[in-house]
Amino acid sequence: MAAKAISSPVPVDWYPTLAVVMVAVGLMFTASFFIYEATSSRRSRSLAKEIATAAIASVFLGFGSLFVLLASGVYV
Amino acid sequence: MATQPPPPRRVAALLLVLVLVLVLVLVASASASASATSADLVVTRADRRVDLTSHIVRVLTSLKVENIGPEAASQVLLAFPNVQAKNLAAIRAFGMEGKVKGPSTVLPIEVVQPSGVPPELTFFSASLSKALEKGKILHMDVLTVFTHSLQPFPEEITQAESQLVVYQDSAHYLSPYPVKVQTLSIRLPGGRVESYTKYPNTKLAESELKYGPFEDRPPFSYSPMVVHFENNNPFAVAKEVIREIEISHWGNVQITEHYNIVHGGAKLKGEFSRIDYQSRPYVRGVSSFRHLIARLPPRAHSIYYRDEIGNISTSHMWSDSKKTQLEVEPRFPLFGGWQTTFTIGYGLPLQDFVFNSDGKRFLNITFGSPVEEILIENLIVKVVLPEGSKDIDVSVPFPAKQWKEVKYSHLDTSGRPVVVLEKPDVIPEHNLYFQVHYRFNNISVLREPMMLITGFFLLFMACIVYMHTDLSISKNSPSYLAKVQWDEVQNITQQIQAIFERCLALHDKLEASLRDLSRSGDVQSCKAARKAADAQFKELAKELKPLLTSLHSSPQSYQIWPKVEDLVAKERELQEKLMARHSTVVDSFEKKLRGQDVENRIATQQQKVAALRQEVESLLEYINSSRFPVDNPEAD
Repeated sequence: MAAKAISSPVPVDWYPTLAVVMVAVGLMFTASFFIYEATSSRRSRSLAKEIATAAIASVFLGFGSLFVLLASGVYV
Repeated sequence: MATQPPPPRRVAALLLVLVLVLVLVLVASASASASATSADLVVTRADRRVDLTSHIVRVLTSLKVENIGPEAASQVLLAFPNVQAKNLAAIRAFGMEGKVKGPSTVLPIEVVQPSGVPPELTFFSASLSKALEKGKILHMDVLTVFTHSLQPFPEEITQAESQLVVYQDSAHYLSPYPVKVQTLSIRLPGGRVESYTKYPNTKLAESELKYGPFEDRPPFSYSPMVVHFENNNPFAVAKEVIREIEISHWGNVQITEHYNIVHGGAKLKGEFSRIDYQSRPYVRGVSSFRHLIARLPPRAHSIYYRDEIGNISTSHMWSDSKKTQLEVEPRFPLFGGWQTTFTIGYGLPLQDFVFNSDGKRFLNITFGSPVEEILIENLIVKVVLPEGSKDIDVSVPFPAKQWKEVKYSHLDTSGRPVVVLEKPDVIPEHNLYFQVHYRFNNISVLREPMMLITGFFLLFMACIVYMHTDLSISKNSPSYLAKVQWDEVQNITQQIQAIFERCLALHDKLEASLRDLSRSGDVQSCKAARKAADAQFKELAKELKPLLTSLHSSPQSYQIWPKVEDLVAKERELQEKLMARHSTVVDSFEKKLRGQDVENRIATQQQKVAALRQEVESLLEYINSSRFPVDNPEAD
């Protein structure tokens, strides 16, 4: 019964790089979301666009904050 | 500290063998009954080597057992007095048949209760894999480790004195079988020997005390011996060690160990003088110890050493490819009876310790503490598995109490399952590998990022909801006013639209009257129709006027106003053109002109009329269907 070693799904050396990249992209999408909210007026807002931008931003921010935690040693 | 003499090669080699081998050490329950009587076996030679250099006493007994009885023997009995058996922490036996240099097999040991023996003795039975035939000789090595066997005597010493301890044993090997030849050799840690029991053939030479050889002793022969000697080696006793092993599938096994260390030797009496200690530590403070050395696995990272106060900076670390050696120095040296608590933590890479086999994962890690030569009175090992682990079971090479708990840590919803193992009297010989098997779904690794993503998404949702709702309460607020005005504008526009629809209907009627005229030739009715249409146009214009003024005055109409103005102007033009055309047609009909001339006269007018009508209709469409924003000065 051969025992295969288990390692993390993403190489551990990549954690800091991934953290920075994902948080940066997430913040860009967050900025886009808030700019859209600020410049559009009530009648011309499109709910689909809002939710799409929010979803993408939250995915990137979620993964980014996870990698920030892992890179700083809090292995969640 | 006194330097230690190098260990005999044989003892070191056997110790290495036992560290590499997993074996059952102690079974709590009594087991199979004793087989054939003890008279069948004879111990032809028994050599005992007792190692008293550390506070943990190790006795290596080399036996040559011969079977002189008629039956084959399947087990060998080992006896210990109850006072010694109470302190027995580990017992291991290795057997080799025939030549001394052959490979040795590990013999499982069990506690037994044979009949007809003195009650003050505890018996262990080593089961032989191959029964020992009549006439054959078995070479057996038994390693026994005793704790708390060195009694400090005197029990209290001052700072300047060195520690003297007493060891009691039997000069004759206590065995249920007769022993032909036996020797006893005790290795002392150097330093002075206060006293020892003197038998005729006792020799003390260079820290080694030899008793024997004794010949032809009957079974259960016991002759007490006592040696009182100086032992200043560290008596590190941990009252309790809690070792927490936390697995994270993102690539780390984090180990946190809490120690409560006590100097288990002679207690310090009188006062402690720091000046004396620092000026001449080898004279004033011989019995104390300062350093503890821990051997951690290789590739250990993020090592910290702290206690309740904070970080302790007196530590050193060396690492190579086989191990990471950590030397910690507590905040003060430990004298007899003094204690200190601290915590050591380190992280290990996941791939060295967690493996996958047959769909189940398992953790393979050492059980005991990495600190060298430490006696742990109560060891608690907690293995924290990630959230979502199921079917947990543990296999430990020796008996230990186990139970399950739950721990709530970072980003946890249902908590992490914890397996807790507890064992009393743990010595470095117990530092063997144990396994924890569990089942874990690969998708469950995404639980934590999903939680974070959901959290951020809810934040964004809250923003969206806030922007979409109108939270103002007062009737004078700009948004409410804007809404009201917007409704007004919508209303007026609808009314204007209705009026224009009627205008267009009138145009159609005029057209119809013209066609009637061409068909029936009735000029009078045509003229009458035109007059009626004219009157109605004037009426509609009158109705339109107040609506137009109110629309113009409403602040929300600024976008639609130009279109409405345009519409009104075009409608007026259209009316004029239509009327002109109508009168031209009627006149020409009265003058009885031919159809072709009529057509010529009204040709240009017809074109213009048609174009204007198109424009009017398209403007009406636009006003009807356009949705244009309300300008709200407050929000948006």
